[in-house]
Amino acid sequence: MTLASGAAVQRRRNWQAIVTVALLLVVGFLVVLPMVFLVEASLNVGDPLAFPPEAYGLKNYFAIFDEDINVLWNTLVIAVMATVMAILIGFTLAWILTRTNVPGRALLERLMELPYYMTPLVGALAWAVLAGPRSGFVNQLWKGMGFSGDIADIYTHFGIAWVMALFEGTVAFVMISASMKSMDPALEESARVMGASKLRTMLTVTLPLVMPGVLGATLFVFAEMLGSFAAALVIGIPARIYVITTAIWDSTLSYPPDYGRASAMGLALFVVMFGMLTFYRHMIVGGSFATITGKAFRPRPMDMGRMAWVLFAVCCLYVFLAVILPVAALLLTSLQRFATVILSQAEFTWANYQTALSLGPVRTAMANSLMLGFGVATVGVIVMAVLVWIIYRSTLRGRGAIEYLVMFPGAVPRLVFGLALLWAWLNIPIPIYGTLWLLALAYFTVMLPLGVRTLAGVVLQIDKSLEECARVCGAGWGYQMRTVTLPLLKPGILAAWLLIFMACVRELGASVFLMGPNAKVIAPSIVSAFASSGTELTAAMALIQTFTVIVALVILFRVTRGVTRELS
Amino acid sequence: MRLLSAAATAASALVLCSASLMAPAPAHAQAKLCDKPREMDGFKTCADVDKAKAEGAFVLYSTDPEAGQVKLLAAFNKMFPEIKTSYVRLQAGALYAKILSERQAKSYLVDVVQLSDMGMILDFQRRGGFRQYVSPQMAAFKPEYKSKPEGYWTWGSIIMGGIAYNPNNVSAAEAPKKWEDLLDPKWKDAINVKVSNSGLQHGVWYMLKPILGDDYFKKFAEQKPRAFDSYVQQYGRLVDGQDKIIMGAQYSGYIEFKAKGAPLAFVFPETGVPAVPETYGIVSDGPHPNAAELFMDWFLAPVGQKALADALLLHSPRDDVPAPGVGSVPLKDMKLLFPADWNAFEKDRVEFAKSWDRIVGARR
Repeated sequence: MTLASGAAVQRRRNWQAIVTVALLLVVGFLVVLPMVFLVEASLNVGDPLAFPPEAYGLKNYFAIFDEDINVLWNTLVIAVMATVMAILIGFTLAWILTRTNVPGRALLERLMELPYYMTPLVGALAWAVLAGPRSGFVNQLWKGMGFSGDIADIYTHFGIAWVMALFEGTVAFVMISASMKSMDPALEESARVMGASKLRTMLTVTLPLVMPGVLGATLFVFAEMLGSFAAALVIGIPARIYVITTAIWDSTLSYPPDYGRASAMGLALFVVMFGMLTFYRHMIVGGSFATITGKAFRPRPMDMGRMAWVLFAVCCLYVFLAVILPVAALLLTSLQRFATVILSQAEFTWANYQTALSLGPVRTAMANSLMLGFGVATVGVIVMAVLVWIIYRSTLRGRGAIEYLVMFPGAVPRLVFGLALLWAWLNIPIPIYGTLWLLALAYFTVMLPLGVRTLAGVVLQIDKSLEECARVCGAGWGYQMRTVTLPLLKPGILAAWLLIFMACVRELGASVFLMGPNAKVIAPSIVSAFASSGTELTAAMALIQTFTVIVALVILFRVTRGVTRELS
Repeated sequence: MRLLSAAATAASALVLCSASLMAPAPAHAQAKLCDKPREMDGFKTCADVDKAKAEGAFVLYSTDPEAGQVKLLAAFNKMFPEIKTSYVRLQAGALYAKILSERQAKSYLVDVVQLSDMGMILDFQRRGGFRQYVSPQMAAFKPEYKSKPEGYWTWGSIIMGGIAYNPNNVSAAEAPKKWEDLLDPKWKDAINVKVSNSGLQHGVWYMLKPILGDDYFKKFAEQKPRAFDSYVQQYGRLVDGQDKIIMGAQYSGYIEFKAKGAPLAFVFPETGVPAVPETYGIVSDGPHPNAAELFMDWFLAPVGQKALADALLLHSPRDDVPAPGVGSVPLKDMKLLFPADWNAFEKDRVEFAKSWDRIVGARR
């Protein structure tokens, strides 16, 4: 190697080091600072509104075991049930739509994503209307058929988990199908040639190969379930089933606010999530998941014969339960003067749509949410792709710690992390409190786990040799990222973009505390309508939100048809 | 004169600016009404209207439902189109905590605050959070409806809680008539209430406990009541037959649902109905001080109080403003139970929250 080329390599290394260090400093700052405030609040045993705390102690932690153990138990039971159901739903649908020749694939795939476009309250409100005891539509139908008693009761642990799984199943679906799309079908074909049945191929070849994607999705979905709020609010509270998020909601809304209780409960969940992440890392470190290698491949779906129609029916059933039925129930509710499931006493009106559309601040909030979604998803996904590369591909010492770091915001329920963000940013002498800039930074911070998990599932599948090849051929780090890594990551990047965009538009926990009078977003307005203005107006607002988001995405996909081909 | 009053305002603002949030409340100097209030369309004001228009904006933090909030502010904006209105709506506890956090960080975004919990109002006054402004409307408010000295905060409306049921599911004969009737085992698993964050629910607990005895709420817990954030969910469940009775039912919610044609009946027990106020005050160091004064003058006058009654169906504390909605019971015909000592009421908050959480199953 000549002296000149040695210097060039050195320059590249410097460049890479500068980007890495800068990125880590920014991300570290965004994540660690709120956590410091959170830990401090959990140890505050004096006046909850005093800052800094007047007295420190562990009282809040002991109180969990004394007063809130049933809340923790409910949370864990529901989260585990919901995660299992969501992953089953997500995996099955992803497999059907990416690995088989099910009819109407493109359309079905679009429909599968629909639940994710709806605000989480939609599902919870709709299923409360559909399967409420005594008067839910399903029970009315049951009694109408001459049976007695109730056939369905949504106000149970299983009911809450069911609603959560039905609507979070889509996240699992998007994350897992991103992995499946990046998988070389030659491996499955080999299994089939060797005589394995389709089911066996799925279980012994497909499943192990997409394991990082599935595990990543499980981890992420479990965290989402622990921090899930909408179903717990709408269904849990009437059932007297309190979970951690509703207990935290109560603690932060009461006066004097019980921030100590909320923070301690949030950090207790953090321990659970930390254990999960360690398990995940242990699993993926042990295996090789590279399915994208130097060998060219074209994803080819398996021919399922007549079974394809059964699989088609499975997809349709999901769309029916998660989209058509809830939207129909909400549509009906939104047209009533006062929400009721007893149709004989219902009075119909358009007034709720008029009210919702006349609420000027709600219109602004919708526009702000869309803008934040586009901005945070676009900038965030690039930063996160680089972060993922640092974590899984660089030789940086302590990169494992970064993976833990970016998972922090997901390991604490969003409502608690939202509070922590509020404390952190109020105490930073940068005047962005009460502006959309703060919401953008907060969204980026809380979306880190979602983006990183989605992208990690795909990065792990890309054989290192492709990047090494680029480097051997003399490409710099930036050139290699631009021409090899990022193009290979494209399906994952697009999936992550979509997930982050939607998560931003639906974001509630951080927004509730960081919104200002002139920087409002839509989800808190909808929850506020639920809390104070009635289900009928909430239904109208939720449907308007869903419709607006779908229209925005359709326009986006049309405009960027070439770039988003992988998604369709 | 206007110059003088502006100078006085600036001086008082300076005094308040220098008082930190945690410092003891400033000495309550007896502020006076301005000499020549300006006659506006339907109300008088001491505010500098031109300056208020030049400020061009007004921010309200309030606990009232968003749709009603928008209507109220739209009515003000219709009269003063130059003043753009905005608001933040949260439940009382969260709203108050947000204000305190903002002030601690010296982030002043709000002009007028409405809180439905007198405990928070008194606390905010002690912390020097309110700016004194004596509105020309003050004479229309009874002494117990405003701060001492007046001008820091004033009751904007009064809410009260009774018993509600759905006559399609409960006949008038079997419906409860007294608070004690709610302990009948036949109502087990059929009653709903508000959560412990509710100022009205605290009022119900605080006023009824001494009258009905400490045992009352112990027995009430055995009925396994369910708790909700808002009256809309409470009445919704009554309409759908998921619950049969609301204990401490907010009367304004009943008026609203009844007007929409919902099958509901309301009972005013002989013992009386616990009542609490929604209180308004101008926040010190707010970004639009003149617009804040103008809003308060408009809001406390009959014109603003009627706008509030139309938007949110709340009863005005003023005797000269009719009851909201159609055919609703006016304040003078109700036996209202107010806490006599708001400081004692505030001190009871923590104990109430814990006990109520246990009663509704939110805590062990």
